[in-house]
Amino acid sequence: MKEIDIFKDAVKDVSAIAAGIKKKQNKIIGYLCSYAPEELIYAAGFHPMRLFSSKSDIVLAENHLQAYCCSMVRGVLEDSLSGRLDFLDGTVFPHTCDSIQRMSDIWRMKGKYDFFADVVLPVKLNTPSARTYMMDVLNKFKNELETAAGKEITDADLQASIKTFNLIRKNLSEIYGLQSQKPGIIKGADLSAIVKGSMIMDRDEVAELLPAIVDRLKRVTTPGKIGKRIVVSGSICDSPDIYTALEASGGVIVGDDLCTGQRWFDGEILDDKNPMAAIANRYIDRMICPAKHISPTARGENIISLAKKNRADGVIFILFKFCDPHAFDYPFLKEFLDREGIKNLLVEIDDQQQNLGQLSTRFETFVHMI
Amino acid sequence: MSDSLSEKRKIKSAKKMRDIMTTYYLDAMTAEQNNKQVAWITSGGPVEPLVAMDIIPIYPENHGAMIGASKMGEDLCIKAEDMGYSSDLCSYARSDISCSIVKGGPIGGLPKPDMLICCNNICGTVLKWYEIQARLYNVPLFILDTPVCHTGYSPEIARYVRAQIDEYIIFLEKVTKKKFDHDKMARVGRLAFEGQQLWRKILNTTAHKPSPMSAFDAFFFLALIVTLRGTQIAVDFYRDLLTEMDQRIKDGISMVPNETYRLLWDNLPVWYRLKWLSTKFSDHNACLVADTYTSAWCSALNYIDEDNFLDSMAEAYTRIYLNIGVDQMADQVLDMIKFYDVNGFVMHSNRSCKPYSFGQMDIMKIVRKKAGIPVLMIEADMVDPRNFSQSQVETRIDAFMEIVKQRNSPNDLCRH
Amino acid sequence: MIYAGIDIGSITAKAALIKNNQVLGTHVILTGYNPLKAGINVFETLLTKVKISKADISGIISTGYGRASIDFADKSLTEIICHGTGAHFMNPKIRGIIDVGGQDSKAIALDRNGQVENFAMNDKCAAGTGRFLEVMANALEIDLDQLGDFSLKADSPSKISSICTVFAESEVISMIAGQEKRENIIAGIHDSAAARVAILAFKISIQKPVMMTGGVAKNNGMVMALGKRLGLNLIVGNLAQENGAIGAAVLASKL
Repeated sequence: MKEIDIFKDAVKDVSAIAAGIKKKQNKIIGYLCSYAPEELIYAAGFHPMRLFSSKSDIVLAENHLQAYCCSMVRGVLEDSLSGRLDFLDGTVFPHTCDSIQRMSDIWRMKGKYDFFADVVLPVKLNTPSARTYMMDVLNKFKNELETAAGKEITDADLQASIKTFNLIRKNLSEIYGLQSQKPGIIKGADLSAIVKGSMIMDRDEVAELLPAIVDRLKRVTTPGKIGKRIVVSGSICDSPDIYTALEASGGVIVGDDLCTGQRWFDGEILDDKNPMAAIANRYIDRMICPAKHISPTARGENIISLAKKNRADGVIFILFKFCDPHAFDYPFLKEFLDREGIKNLLVEIDDQQQNLGQLSTRFETFVHMI
Repeated sequence: MSDSLSEKRKIKSAKKMRDIMTTYYLDAMTAEQNNKQVAWITSGGPVEPLVAMDIIPIYPENHGAMIGASKMGEDLCIKAEDMGYSSDLCSYARSDISCSIVKGGPIGGLPKPDMLICCNNICGTVLKWYEIQARLYNVPLFILDTPVCHTGYSPEIARYVRAQIDEYIIFLEKVTKKKFDHDKMARVGRLAFEGQQLWRKILNTTAHKPSPMSAFDAFFFLALIVTLRGTQIAVDFYRDLLTEMDQRIKDGISMVPNETYRLLWDNLPVWYRLKWLSTKFSDHNACLVADTYTSAWCSALNYIDEDNFLDSMAEAYTRIYLNIGVDQMADQVLDMIKFYDVNGFVMHSNRSCKPYSFGQMDIMKIVRKKAGIPVLMIEADMVDPRNFSQSQVETRIDAFMEIVKQRNSPNDLCRH
Repeated sequence: MIYAGIDIGSITAKAALIKNNQVLGTHVILTGYNPLKAGINVFETLLTKVKISKADISGIISTGYGRASIDFADKSLTEIICHGTGAHFMNPKIRGIIDVGGQDSKAIALDRNGQVENFAMNDKCAAGTGRFLEVMANALEIDLDQLGDFSLKADSPSKISSICTVFAESEVISMIAGQEKRENIIAGIHDSAAARVAILAFKISIQKPVMMTGGVAKNNGMVMALGKRLGLNLIVGNLAQENGAIGAAVLASKL
């Protein structure tokens, strides 16, 4: 499908995408976390681009972050220090985890790019004072963007931005829904390219391409071979080979609780006379990440609901080594799943090192078990 | 060295402190029988309102230090890993989580909490750790969310944290079913302020050459300002300890017999190797005179208004050493290097503590450049000894001290 | 006056003698399992070699991982300071040293006066050390001292991506199964080891001229690979392996 190919080409050559954006006189603001308020960046006339590491060897970042730091964080820092992110005009760091907190300081102290912003969102999302603070922080960021853009961000700008992002999110949700209904109509690697592309490419282009994909997929019939239905849970998974390996092992992904997946596009921005409040609400109410808190059991309830909704045969946790928030949640999520009789598996991955042989062995065994 | 000399060097207040800590833990263990409630609280958490409500505060992190010091960390960490917790997670958290289940550790486990108070000013790990304990003990959890002040304390952060202080009071009233006594709070606030002032004065005595105590002593005496802050007991004890330090200075008693080199320590202690580290440096005639960890419990003094404690708590708890930008941390380190006039900086790259350890390399560069002193980085962990390689650390310390000596005077290298 | 330095490493033990600011003689033996015995052995053998007796020695310093066992030394100092001193003694212009030994590797930065300014040692892992090369040589059924010559004949070095010795070995084994040329595999091994060692040098912003010391300096393939990674020509003297012992002897003269 040519629309899918556009996404696949985009994720293969991010610098080409960046060059294209810059040709249109647009400025690129990079971000690492799905809590980055993209709608505001876009409304200011900038291009929000999610940063993934190029998986190059860590050499320069060794002088800033120890080996026990998450490989994604080290990898992105490595790319910046090596000049591979010179296309950036700036970055925004929403508060995520301890590693990103320090990375933000190191990045700011390096002073490589013109624009820099810390958006220290609340960690708690379940109180009125947190909601107020969220609004305050978003408004502050909006002001910083206005200064950088040299113009005001009007309500009309915000409404237009919200419309685009709602469209993107709705379509991605539909694609996921279709995959869950008719597993295998789209390969895991292709789906991951569509989602990653949506975080990197021109959002207007994405908003045009996605409905076409939804349309085509609606018309595809269920393929002959159906694998075991798997829901994946974790933080970042920027290795489509992992999905391919899982599919080769007899599984098919019918849903995910991933930062580079559903958690990024979950949650529509509801119509509100106050667009800033509407945006704030979306970030408070969307599928929660382990670095945030609404209740001690929220994520457990989420994973069960996700597994049941997608009629999962099993859940696979794909966790990054050295990712603390996810590693702390894993035992209780496992407990919740075990209680419901939903089989589950844990694999630990590293951004730079791929041990596909070992992963395949685990996947095959798991699929055989469920 | 004669017995009487080494006797003189021992700090007399240590025994008193051990007694106070024993009583404190006993009170906590017997809380239920005495109709008192127990709160588990993070080391950077706002304890004063608890003291004002007569709730006994327990610090799982202090317990973690005890576990490390009694060398029980490895076993408890392994048990946590058996429970599914990654070996890369904070060893305080791993030890405490498994200890809650197996009732291990040096005191057979902590008394169960009636409530959990979690302040994330020190790290994001505590949020996850306390969520786990909230699920296990099924008790109310209060989170004081103190946003990171990368470059400064903004008005929106001030508003947010201040609002949460009010929520905290309401939470405590709900859990204890008692009304909050603002007068008592004011008294507790003053005691907390006084305690911290005394602690600061004690830490300042080590600017004297030679130093009457070392950072290793500070690690030990820290416990009271953490666990009993806001009480008369802590104030009385620290007054006595300060008197003892002043007397030692008068009498010319130094902790390290031939203090020739003065060093600054960064990050948490390596709890299970304190004696070895202390002896190692002391054999090189070096005294670790100060550290960034224990001084964190009086840095809030800059923001506390003792006449308006409750209001100023917001800023005091948000602007702590670990909740600011790396460049601001570096500035504080440079200040300490100057104040204590040190010849070298020893940084513990602590696998368990990301907010403290990430950024160390940048701080190291800044210190080398601006203070011009040698910096040593020791890779270890605060409680899990499996991440500590004694011979490797020993070689690094020896090489570092050789550099310090050579700089001090090239002949020093071959003399001591 | 004659001074002695004894460097007990994990694989080899070295001894050196200094007289009138010149190297009088050196000797190298395998350490074996008893560091004290090795120390006595290498020292006495060297004395015999230059026809002097222990009474002629005015001072002895021991270094290396086994330094504490050498009870007949007047003092023990770390290999960092000894390598720094040795390199400066052999070539006063030297500003950096990269020492790759049997079980660890180090990068040392010297100031203008030849004093150690900064140093970095490898992490708790064998990658980038003599041990790594030994394991690889085994897997390829080649003698350690042939590695250098083999690698220089490579026409298309393999890429060994793992940072762990154990993983690297399994990668090498698949390459052997895939019939890749040994020359290329070895070049790839050298590049991988050099990459690990280079990180240490970058950590301390090493400045040229840089000398390479330690047993692995005898492997010209490694010297080239490392030089390439660092973007400079490494200086390797013919007493590279004994550099630590030489430095220890020089320091003994300052006792």
